[in-house]
Amino acid sequence: MLKHKLKYSGLFLPLLIALILPLYLTDYWIYALTLTFYYVIMAVTWNLLGGYTGQFSLSHHTFAMIGSYISALLIIKTGIPLWMGMASSWIFNAFISVLLGILCLRMRGIYLALTTWAFAEIVKTYIRMDFEFTGGDRGLNAPLFFKTMNPIPYYYLFLAFAVLTIIVIAIIMRSRIGYYLRTIRNDEVAAQAMGVNTVRWKVFAFMVASVFASVAGTLYGHFTGLISPVSGDFYEMSLIIIFVVIGGMRSQAGPVVGAISVRFLAEVLKKWPEIRMIILALVVILIMRFFNGGVMEFLRQGVQRIRQRKGRTPVSGLQKMEPRQR
Amino acid sequence: MQFLISGIIMGVLYCLMSLGVNFIYGIMKVINWAIGEFFMIGAYVQYLLIVTVLGTRYWYIGVFIVAFCTFFLGAFVQKILIKPMFVGMVEEKTEYATIVTIAMAILFRNLAIFIGGPYIYTPPDYAPPTHIGPLPLSGNNFIAFIGTIVILALFFYFLKRTWIGKAFQAVSQNRAGVLTAGIDVLKFDMIAFGIGTALAGAGGALLAPVILVYPLCGVIPTVRGFEIIVIGGLGSIPGVFAAGLSIGIAESLGAAFINPSFVDIYGFGLLMLILLIKPYGLFGKPERSV
Repeated sequence: MLKHKLKYSGLFLPLLIALILPLYLTDYWIYALTLTFYYVIMAVTWNLLGGYTGQFSLSHHTFAMIGSYISALLIIKTGIPLWMGMASSWIFNAFISVLLGILCLRMRGIYLALTTWAFAEIVKTYIRMDFEFTGGDRGLNAPLFFKTMNPIPYYYLFLAFAVLTIIVIAIIMRSRIGYYLRTIRNDEVAAQAMGVNTVRWKVFAFMVASVFASVAGTLYGHFTGLISPVSGDFYEMSLIIIFVVIGGMRSQAGPVVGAISVRFLAEVLKKWPEIRMIILALVVILIMRFFNGGVMEFLRQGVQRIRQRKGRTPVSGLQKMEPRQR
Repeated sequence: MQFLISGIIMGVLYCLMSLGVNFIYGIMKVINWAIGEFFMIGAYVQYLLIVTVLGTRYWYIGVFIVAFCTFFLGAFVQKILIKPMFVGMVEEKTEYATIVTIAMAILFRNLAIFIGGPYIYTPPDYAPPTHIGPLPLSGNNFIAFIGTIVILALFFYFLKRTWIGKAFQAVSQNRAGVLTAGIDVLKFDMIAFGIGTALAGAGGALLAPVILVYPLCGVIPTVRGFEIIVIGGLGSIPGVFAAGLSIGIAESLGAAFINPSFVDIYGFGLLMLILLIKPYGLFGKPERSV
């Protein structure tokens, strides 16, 4: 009973804090937190693909950028309402990702990484070059959600979408599909032998992740009001990987914790962007080299150690379900 | 005809990039995502050498020094970061290698910005403009073309004729079998990684006057390199040449007949086409799963 209570309070306490936080913060920090929720959506969905399924997409940020551009361009050129622009850009992204996925997910995961890396750079170059249509390096003025400069409505909107994303990913991972995806990562041949249609579920994971990326992208576009090819820079992708690895791959809370803590660190070290990235890259290398699991695994082991010292039997981990490979 | 020649020249230059990646992949089954950063380091070191020590006339000595330096840097990186994969410390190899090398790329880029600043350095020209037949060609491109061919020839001589080269071929075919033949696989991994990065570094040194020297100068060649690898087939060395030439030609033809500002897209279109027809690339084989 107590364990259940603890678990639910662990889920609802951060949400409660997030709900009342805007009352006590300056506009700048509310803005920063809103951006953080954008990264939370990106990191959580990339974790589904790169962490659980083991398929490395290196164009997650590109799907966000495509989403924001399509939505903004449709609204500007045709004058359709905002929600229609967003929805159509999500559908377009689903289409592209399924196409890319079917082409390169028939092979091992490394092909997806190679192709999506090239895809990301190509899309960025296209948007920069075709400046008459997309605005090029100057960027594009996207219409805003709300006709106000007050960041609080945006904050709640992003919070709602971030929570929604986390819930959807949690549902997927607890369903039968979640087990399919985990088997694909652990041993693809064994998964095939068990009758899992690996290609279909890999494409499915890629599609879900890309659509959520475009959701985040459209939100971002209509929040900042200015979209530019900079958001297609590889820097963004590396940030997402950093969030997920530092927070802990293959855990549901890991990307969230990683995104929030690293974003906070980034805001503090804002004056020295290069040093910041050097430190983060070093941390990622060290985590991968010595401690494969990130902050969440660290916390979990710590809790387990305390329990053992108290003489109780260790509780099996809430998130870590997959067996070690071979 | 002109476009064909310029396409071939660009194609050969792209080959150098993807050869480094593909060689490493063939030996260790690891993609080095930081190869563009080794290219960038090569360009920086070459610029430094030319401006401070050597002077423009002796640029070719610089290329060798750069290749030497990047070889040792690559071997060092392999020793501390990639080698643990093979001595049983890492569960998920692809994931580990991908994330570590991407983090390395970020590290090198930001170090470059931190040390050299976000400026674009322009090295002096290696040679005055020349002509090949009817095609006017900048001396730098010509030099880069010749230099690339020399490096590729040396590489192939090394791979096909020397004992070490043959040992490398053996390692790429069967790692366990080679161990029984008395070859220290871990040591060869290190050398292979060094050679791969040295190829990229030499490429950076050769192309420094063409692409110019700045922290992100490795990105575009890397993208081409990865496209070539997918088109040619992972781990296949003849595939690199076929794919490199076809990308170079596709780009210059596309630039000539369709629209020159979208040069980068034609190569990707070719890649999509090849993936549709031959999923494992022109020369690639479906991998055996153990």
